[in-house]
Amino acid sequence: MAPDAPRKNPKNAVAPRTSRIKDSTSYKVFTVVNMTVLVLMCAVMLYPFIMLLAQSFSSAGAINAGKVNLFPVGFNLDTYKVVANNDNFWRAYGNTVIYTVIGTTIAMVLTTTYAYVLSKKHLKGRGLLIGIAVFTMFFNGGIVPNYVLISSLGMKNTMWAVILPPALSVFNLLVMKAFFENLPTELEEAAHIDGLSWFGIFFRIVLPLSKAVIATMVLFYSVQYWNDWFAAFLYLDKTDLFPVTLFLRNLIAGASTAASEGAAASGGNVDAINANIQSVTMILILIPILCVYPFVQRYFVSGIMLGSVKG
Amino acid sequence: MNTPRHFPFAPTRRSFVGLSAAAFATVALAACGSDSGEEVDVESQNVGAMDDYTADTQFKATEPIQVSMLWTDWPEVPVEDTWRLFDHIKELTNVEITLTHIPFSDATEKRSLLISAGDAPTLIPLVYTGEDAPFVSSGAVVPMSDYVDKMPNFQKYVEEWDLADMIGNLKQEDGKYYMVPGLQEVSVPVFSLVIRKDVFEEVTGAVPNTWDELHEGLKLIKEKYPDSTPLADGFEGGALFNFASHAWLTKGGWGFGDGSIEGPDGKLTYVAITDEYKTMIELFRTLVEEGLLDRESLTASNDGSGAASVAEKFAAETCFAASGSSGTAIEFSQALNETVGEGNHSVALIPPPAGPAGEHVEPRNFWHGFMLNSQITKSENFLATLQFLDWLYYNPDAREMLRWGEKDVNYTKAEDGTIELMDGFSLDDYAINAGAGTDIKTDLGFSTFPAESTESRALKESYSTPEFVEYIDNVLSTRTPRDPYPPKPMDETELEQASLLATPIKDSVDTATLQFIMGERDMSEWDAFKSELEAAGLPRYLELLNTARDRFVEANG
Repeated sequence: MAPDAPRKNPKNAVAPRTSRIKDSTSYKVFTVVNMTVLVLMCAVMLYPFIMLLAQSFSSAGAINAGKVNLFPVGFNLDTYKVVANNDNFWRAYGNTVIYTVIGTTIAMVLTTTYAYVLSKKHLKGRGLLIGIAVFTMFFNGGIVPNYVLISSLGMKNTMWAVILPPALSVFNLLVMKAFFENLPTELEEAAHIDGLSWFGIFFRIVLPLSKAVIATMVLFYSVQYWNDWFAAFLYLDKTDLFPVTLFLRNLIAGASTAASEGAAASGGNVDAINANIQSVTMILILIPILCVYPFVQRYFVSGIMLGSVKG
Repeated sequence: MNTPRHFPFAPTRRSFVGLSAAAFATVALAACGSDSGEEVDVESQNVGAMDDYTADTQFKATEPIQVSMLWTDWPEVPVEDTWRLFDHIKELTNVEITLTHIPFSDATEKRSLLISAGDAPTLIPLVYTGEDAPFVSSGAVVPMSDYVDKMPNFQKYVEEWDLADMIGNLKQEDGKYYMVPGLQEVSVPVFSLVIRKDVFEEVTGAVPNTWDELHEGLKLIKEKYPDSTPLADGFEGGALFNFASHAWLTKGGWGFGDGSIEGPDGKLTYVAITDEYKTMIELFRTLVEEGLLDRESLTASNDGSGAASVAEKFAAETCFAASGSSGTAIEFSQALNETVGEGNHSVALIPPPAGPAGEHVEPRNFWHGFMLNSQITKSENFLATLQFLDWLYYNPDAREMLRWGEKDVNYTKAEDGTIELMDGFSLDDYAINAGAGTDIKTDLGFSTFPAESTESRALKESYSTPEFVEYIDNVLSTRTPRDPYPPKPMDETELEQASLLATPIKDSVDTATLQFIMGERDMSEWDAFKSELEAAGLPRYLELLNTARDRFVEANG
């Protein structure tokens, strides 16, 4: 629209037609059934979370007596205070944030650049490069050789042991490669004619057009790093370096075995305290993902779908 | 249009193969870095060792040494390198302990990984009997039996507490044992029957001593509380069948193990085909039929602490007896406080009921001990390390220190041996001086897992609740531990074959046991069940066990 063109007055705009095509009975039935099933599924998904939330605000005794369901019983904030004052928890939490931020950044650099290279069909050795990546989806050296490798590379007991091994997910790589292959080659050719280098094309043309898939991959990688405990379990020997997921895993395992160990449990209420602390810890760990997800979610479906269909 | 330029680095197939081979070689070399076959002369590897080290003397290294140790990080007791425990040990012994932390949740897996990768610290604690077997053939751990003559405290208490036969049973196929256990002057079953003592006393007039008395008691309780199913397990049958089995001199539940038991002819046979096992199953079948044994509690999966629903049932007074430890008793008691009210109930852990075979409980057992990484045999501090660990694990003063801290700083000991924590110090786990300020466990590192290993009876009772001390007394005065199960260490090939055979056989036993108990299978099918086990390879399995057993007897007497 030209800058001087008269603006349309919304008030004078033609009102939308109110008459609609009448829904058929079968469609109405389908909608009702559909909604019911979806609401039920939603309830099934939400129930454990709400129960967890209720437990986190409940007294330990009420949890042990099985009284807590959807609402807190014996409401208290003490457990939140206990967890909030636990230095080990926050240290582990901080580690997770660091691993997630640095890991996701490195993973995105590796994945986008590798995927872009693989999307160029004229690249010599492209098949081999794809083969190398795909090979790792089916075969790996096993835990002990991997451990020895990481140890020999001097990465044991450093954050790189947690960050680098999973920094290139082949699944994500292939999704991204498919996405890049679908970008119109004419755009790159035009940029090339205008004098942009490969890196220029990549950073100034390709990446700005790939926000949806990048957002999706950032979500994938950050959730992967956030939830990962296994690499830390394998390669880290100092609790100072443990991520919060390992802290939580330890907490849950500890709570579930404390009572079965006669010596540990012949006094005190260790497991009763843990029932509370587990819930609070889980809630606190879930919060960042719950906060981030709604903002990235709108890119999520389109991103994954764009990559999935090759034109 | 212009042809796009190629990337500057386009690796060829050959260069990649070369890179991969180089990477593999690096890994292979790194993995095979250790050499073996060197002679060990422990007497000459004596830097830091004491010349006059004997039992019950204080060990102090003649020069500072370091011992690396695997430390399992308990979630409720997060390890701190600054704990007073480590400083105090250093002051006493001149030994600095350096730690490798492993999370409690997956401690066994991480330990295996570290040992397999040759990366384990010198001291590998929290090793239970039999857990050394997988590491024997690799030579990754030290054959401790070769060096126990350098451990005078260990030898003294093995003899004093009459444990020599049990130590002999630790031997592996090569006649050596690779772990040294925590010695217990007395041992009682950790899991037994937790009952509502007040209800039993009110309804039956006494606490049940035998399975028959328990059966009668449960019937009377059922009459008074018709909606109840008075007996439960909560551990998928594992705990109940285990402590019950000894009353029939058979095996069951968690204690099933390899399923072998000495038959009347002296040869090993399989417990699940014996009449004793059948008789035990028939009792539980009757209990289920009469609505006295909670079916759900035998099948509902649990997270290791017992299905939480049993505590709920206790609280709701629909269950009055269940398997558990003294900790379970406290859990049930807490749950009852919420419903019945504090002071209106009494929950007790009682000795496992006696049965047709008499008043038997499980064989005496060891508690967790330690293994040593075989790298230590190349160290000049080998002898000093052995002496230090002998002191740490078996010297009474060291055991008391590990449990209670520094004498006259954290605790006092009266003439009669009574130990009390000093003001300002608590051991919250055992509700001793709870909330007094400094917890000797979480703040100072005492009473952590190293304290659990070797224990005299007095030390065990010093921190136990009066109820648990009473339970120990009851068990020791009224029950007889069974003889130890005969050892039958296998070589690597036999182990592999046996485990391949044992898994399907044990699965059949587990399934059929529950089917018989639940009434889903008629007892007339007992012979058919035995035939199923034979078809699953039981004769071959027993042959393997008997061969290993005969070989062990021949070699060790």
